[in-house]
Amino acid sequence: MNNLLKLKKINLKYQTGKDTIRVLQDIDLIIKKKETISIVGESGSGKTSLIMLIGGLEKVTSGKIYFQDQDITSLTEDEVSEIRRKNIGIVFQSFYLIPNYTAVENVALTLELNKFKKPYDQAKELLDRFGLKNRLNNLPSQLSGGEQQRVAIARSIAMKPELILADEPTGNLDSENSKMISDILFNYVKEEESSLILVTHDLKLASRAKRIIKLRDGKIV
Amino acid sequence: MEKLSNPQELSLILKYALRDLSRNYKKLSSIIITLFISLFILSAIFTIEDSLKKELNDNAKGLLGGDLEIDYNRNKGDLNLINQVKEFATIMEMVEFSTMISTTNRDKNQSLFSRIKTVDQNYPLYGSVLYEPTDALKRMHEEKNTILVNENIFKTLKLKIDEKIKVQDQLFTVVGLIKSVPDVSGFIAFGDFALTGKQTLDLLKLNSIGSFLNYEYKVKFKENDDPKEIEKKIEEIFKNDQKVKLRYPENSASGLKRIINNFSQFLSLVSISAMLIAGIGVANTLLSFINQNNMSIAVRKAVGFFSVNIKTVYYLQLFFLLLIITIAAYSSSFLIVPIVDIYLSEGLGLNIKPIFSFINFIKIFLVGLLVLIIFSIPTVNAIDQIKASNLFRNVFQNLQFYYSKKSIFVSLILLSILILLFTIGSARPLYSLSYFAAFFICLTVFFLLSKLIIYFLKTLKNTKNISLKVSIKNITQTKSITPITIMSLGLGVTLLLTLALVGNNFKREIAKSIPELAPDYFFVGIQKSEKEKFVNTITMMDPNVDLEIVPIVSSGLIKINGINPNTYILPDNDSYWVIESDRRSSWTDIVPTDNPIIAGEWWNLSKSNNLQISLDAKVAKDFNIKLGDIFTLNIYGREIDGEVINFREVNYRDLNINFAMLFNPEFANNMPHEYLSTAKFDDLSKFNETRMIEILPSLSIIKIADYLNKVTSVLNKVFIAVTLISAITIVIGLIVISSAIMLQGKVKEFQNLVFKIIGFSKKEVILSSLIEFIIIFKSVILIAVFFAVIGSKFIIENIFQLVWKFDFKVLIYLGFSIGLVTLLLIMISNLKFLNPKAYPLIRNQ
Repeated sequence: MNNLLKLKKINLKYQTGKDTIRVLQDIDLIIKKKETISIVGESGSGKTSLIMLIGGLEKVTSGKIYFQDQDITSLTEDEVSEIRRKNIGIVFQSFYLIPNYTAVENVALTLELNKFKKPYDQAKELLDRFGLKNRLNNLPSQLSGGEQQRVAIARSIAMKPELILADEPTGNLDSENSKMISDILFNYVKEEESSLILVTHDLKLASRAKRIIKLRDGKIV
Repeated sequence: MEKLSNPQELSLILKYALRDLSRNYKKLSSIIITLFISLFILSAIFTIEDSLKKELNDNAKGLLGGDLEIDYNRNKGDLNLINQVKEFATIMEMVEFSTMISTTNRDKNQSLFSRIKTVDQNYPLYGSVLYEPTDALKRMHEEKNTILVNENIFKTLKLKIDEKIKVQDQLFTVVGLIKSVPDVSGFIAFGDFALTGKQTLDLLKLNSIGSFLNYEYKVKFKENDDPKEIEKKIEEIFKNDQKVKLRYPENSASGLKRIINNFSQFLSLVSISAMLIAGIGVANTLLSFINQNNMSIAVRKAVGFFSVNIKTVYYLQLFFLLLIITIAAYSSSFLIVPIVDIYLSEGLGLNIKPIFSFINFIKIFLVGLLVLIIFSIPTVNAIDQIKASNLFRNVFQNLQFYYSKKSIFVSLILLSILILLFTIGSARPLYSLSYFAAFFICLTVFFLLSKLIIYFLKTLKNTKNISLKVSIKNITQTKSITPITIMSLGLGVTLLLTLALVGNNFKREIAKSIPELAPDYFFVGIQKSEKEKFVNTITMMDPNVDLEIVPIVSSGLIKINGINPNTYILPDNDSYWVIESDRRSSWTDIVPTDNPIIAGEWWNLSKSNNLQISLDAKVAKDFNIKLGDIFTLNIYGREIDGEVINFREVNYRDLNINFAMLFNPEFANNMPHEYLSTAKFDDLSKFNETRMIEILPSLSIIKIADYLNKVTSVLNKVFIAVTLISAITIVIGLIVISSAIMLQGKVKEFQNLVFKIIGFSKKEVILSSLIEFIIIFKSVILIAVFFAVIGSKFIIENIFQLVWKFDFKVLIYLGFSIGLVTLLLIMISNLKFLNPKAYPLIRNQ
């Protein structure tokens, strides 16, 4: 079976007071192994919500999500965490680094969690590859936006996940840093034969993926 | 926007402060509750103390029974001198004595040891007697052999109006029951009493030795007379009479005032604790609040607000909050006065009413303001750490308390003012000062402890367990809040443990059964001629009775080394009772087994013609008496000098025969005396109290169990008050502990969100929080137990003058319970942070 991810009739609704907001409607999607996909769409179209559901950070209102043929919508929170820990790396527009952990500690945390041997050495090596050799012991507040995002990517790929979810990874960065970050991401998936789901407004960046999916009002168009 | 330089900007800042407060008050609920509770305790203490002192001052004449009291103790006194006073003032003659009151004509008669006041028609000169039925007092004065008894005697002996009772060998008719009398002196406050007419004295066989007889003449000045002049005139009349003691309204109820002062000292310490701990809570909550507003502060800075203006907005919000809370707390404190009133009117006949005092209100507001400013300076100064550039980095920065040299200086000055404010106003300034010192020592020790924990944990880097690793990282990280968490938790737990130990010791004292070796009865007023009869009667009833009979003589301590002690020993002295009126003393050849000598030698037989005194070591300490000091005692009108030759450790609580002063037998045997006896029966049922009184009518019998019940009932009331106040303060302690956790809330929430994203399980997150708590709590509890033991020992022994006992089991139990409650509290406060919802956080909602 070549499918990494299968989304079947996914619906996501939110109740705000008396109003029900339908964020995602009847989404059907199949993502194959090693495939790179860009999700584009206007603000509020449901892009971020979709990758949050895929990452198991949010529960679907209805529908099924199969990751490597396993229905993750029927799993407990801890079971989904276990899958995410080993197989899914997430990169955010706002980086989400732990503010009181240094760069190397942020990366090593994932490796320690997955019981890697010598997590600090591996974390240092990875950060070195991303040009952060001299920033290992800096706190996130002491790093530039581009540097923070490189640390965040290093953290998400440290345990070599099969799937990377990236939500506007270059949204907070200048063009030079944007290029560097997108290169790191696409090179990684190519080298490690991973899959990538990229949410972006940037059509140039989106076009680097093999497939582009467009969302409008919570539906794939 | 410029710095505060003109009224327009000031009004803008005021507008912002009011708007922010109206929107944020819900987020500040923890500050509001903490401040309200602590200010309420402070207000309640101020209000009750003021109301009580006002009642005592207003009724000083009523409490004394007149504008002046001429006390002749057990002598009738010089009636010529009394008659001279009668020429320009009204005099009421009162004779008090203690005796037994017994029921008659019942299958099983009962007796009670009571204080009887014989009064003339002028009674009371001030205040009023509350009694039933309406004609009772009139009947008492007009009819012979009539008596009014207090409510307790009426209930205990199950009396009826017009029932006959026996006082010594005379029959009296109970014509009514007394609800309260105005002249509440120490004895009446806690004992049973009865009122009879003046004629009673001639009916009863009272002798000047026993019966705790006391002749008093209460004087009421004429309305237009100048009290000071009349006082001088009376002092002039009695200046050569050595037997008399003049008392003034300001000396009235000195015992009661001492109790009130001791209790307010305790309350004052509790309120200081409450205020200081509330201060820490406010600092934590405020820092957490500013952390939550990190972004909005950064935005304000970005649009041009100066840091000082933003800080002013926060200070103003706190000021308005404090003003509203102080008004609410002070007003609420008035509601507690009627509850205290019920308490006091029952036992002491005092009626207190809430009194509004603007000075008190200002004092409370000032204390609140000082605490608020001292503790919010480092918090509000943290605003300086927020930079507008953070907005560009999108980095959440956890703020730290920030001290500059200037702010430390200002805080120290304000703290000194706060300490002065509490110390000067307290009953025992030295206690208050020591308390502040102890508080800051505690704080420093907990701070050092936090540094020690961090240092130790940093050496434990090689652990494999991820939860433990995260906990250690959280505790030891740069700019960690571990020190403030440990200090808050430490002080909170110390407070909880101290109050719990105080409460527990109280409970133990109340539940204390009669000591095993304590006698069953005290017999007072055994005349020399009746001694044999007494021994025979009692041994006939129970041949195996353990009887101890000692001689007693009454004496008044009138000079210490030639100086009248009343001129320099104040009524608030713990041993004032020794000089307040005549005391009974005894003599013995050998050192009493339960009164070991701790300084000096037993009797010097070579000086048997001189009076030698063995003194209670506590009295010696309180009066600053040295061995070799000379006491001048008034014994039956004769002034006799005696040398203090040793100090004994007297434990009055063993309920055996104990005296503050013992005399050398060679000298004392020659003095006229009576006997005091204790009896421990082999079989208590063999002792017939009524029969004993029939045989020896002037004998007074005190049942130890009854006496203990009275002490217990007083202790019980104090215990309820202590428990109530402790419970309120404990709430503050818990709020402070949870505020320390709240301080980490935002960071924890964010951290746990990231943990969730990278795949931590819920169990691992919870476990890391648990480990973190256990590491901190385990270290804190050990130090807290140490401080609590010292603190509770000090409070129990010095303030309440009870016996403090170390109980290891109770400590373990309390430590475990507090740990569990705190852990639950932490878990509840942390619950929403332990498993944050990803969607709203990622969406920045």
